[in-house]
Amino acid sequence: MILTEVAPVWIRICLILVLVSGGFLLSSRSMSNLVRTYQFQSFLLVLIALGLCILEGHITLLLVAVLTLVSKVWGIPACIRLIQERIHIQQDLKFSYLRPPGALMLSILIILLVYVCFAQILESLYAASSLFFLGSVIGVSLVLMGLLAVCIRRMAISKVIGYLSMENGVLAFGLFVTELPFFIEFVIIIDLIILVLLTSIMTVGIDSSIEEYKTRLQEFHLLSEEGGIS
Amino acid sequence: MIGESFIFAFLNVAFVLVISPFFMMVIKKVKARVQGRQGPHLLQGYYNLAKLFRKETLYSEYAGFISRIAPYAALSILLVAAVMVPIFWIPEQELVTANIIVFLYLLVTGRLLIALLGLDAASTFGGMGSSREMSLSAIIEPVTVVVFAALVYVTGSFSIHDIFRTATTMFPAYNPTVLLLSVPLFILIIVETGRVPVDNPETHLELTMVHEGMLLDTSGRNLALFELSHAVKQTLLMAILLNIILPAGIALEMSAGVLILGGVLFLLKGTVLCVIIGLFESAYAKMRFFQIPNLFMIAFFFSILTIFIEVML
Repeated sequence: MILTEVAPVWIRICLILVLVSGGFLLSSRSMSNLVRTYQFQSFLLVLIALGLCILEGHITLLLVAVLTLVSKVWGIPACIRLIQERIHIQQDLKFSYLRPPGALMLSILIILLVYVCFAQILESLYAASSLFFLGSVIGVSLVLMGLLAVCIRRMAISKVIGYLSMENGVLAFGLFVTELPFFIEFVIIIDLIILVLLTSIMTVGIDSSIEEYKTRLQEFHLLSEEGGIS
Repeated sequence: MIGESFIFAFLNVAFVLVISPFFMMVIKKVKARVQGRQGPHLLQGYYNLAKLFRKETLYSEYAGFISRIAPYAALSILLVAAVMVPIFWIPEQELVTANIIVFLYLLVTGRLLIALLGLDAASTFGGMGSSREMSLSAIIEPVTVVVFAALVYVTGSFSIHDIFRTATTMFPAYNPTVLLLSVPLFILIIVETGRVPVDNPETHLELTMVHEGMLLDTSGRNLALFELSHAVKQTLLMAILLNIILPAGIALEMSAGVLILGGVLFLLKGTVLCVIIGLFESAYAKMRFFQIPNLFMIAFFFSILTIFIEVML
């Protein structure tokens, strides 16, 4: 009984923190902070899914929470950290088109635009529940903020975190407006894992030929001298 | 009612004057501990003030009347501001109109006086400090206005007393926007009090100093007054943050027990906030001058976000 009363409050707080983490992903220059923020953002989505599970009682939401916890809070960040340690990149200082202050300003406009559009499109939802309206606005805003991060960042790993953040936005929107089937959610997670693995290959070898690629992997300590994965 | 208001004003101002040097020392102590040093005694701030008050005041040969009146005027302005910000007790009736816009203007006037003082002594460092201070001020002022606008929007009042009274009825867990608002208010404390990463209060390096540069030609009693007004300003901004996000313990009625409890709780909350500020300062390096607007932009982003969320909720 108490949980059903507390759940909307904690969902609201988590949603706001999700948006804050989206802003942080646009402005942070430290690679480890970027990964940590993505991990935190994913954890907030786990809490939101649990909160909605308490409110609505759908077991699918619990499964989504568990899947997100295992893949996005634990698996993917661990994988990115591993790549990051190997390529020894501490900071991402390269930006295209916009610097972080400009990106933050633009993200404010994005949130405003999404709010204005959704206020008209989802008028009935707003009348029914402001919480679900807030969730949908924040979900789509997060997708667009992730897209912005992909556009302004120049390093492959940072771009990947932008993509991952976009997917978090899709998940948030899916949780509040159109619930995705669990199977689709599962496939998306597999896609994300492949994306991260591909990035690790791209990050070290995108500018090298096939012949040089092995040398390049060894240079970044991703392949041992004997040919085995280190 | 009027009597109660006068008691409030007296207690508030006296409390602020007494605890402000203590808070400054807590921050210094935390920073020293993080650096592996013993750090100053927690009462060192009071000893320093007493020492400076006893010392002779010297003026530059070029100094005009600004150098003579600015220290007194700066402290007086902040003490008027102190009457507006309830620290541990919100009386039923306001002695002066505690309008948040007037409060902002008082802070700006204090800043203007210090900038004029930096120019008045006609020293290169003072001029440079004033120039930097005004450049920063031109960027931070609009952000400060937006931060306070968000505060007004969330609480629905321009009166600082009403804002605090509303905050006591809103437990942060039930109003997430209040939590969101705490970030720009924290950044505002860092910026307005010239702390790392915006300015380094410990440094006297010509290339980096902003606030210290303006006070370089000040000595004796005048320096003590400036040090005290700086500490008072920090306490007032801390009180705004603390009494909004954690208003627990603030007295709403005039009774000795409740007032003492309110004072003690504020002291505890303030000390915790000082520890956080000290750790924050230790964790960051001073930003390059042209990187500072990035920090302001974060405060601006959070303030706008607060207004949006409040509208959406």
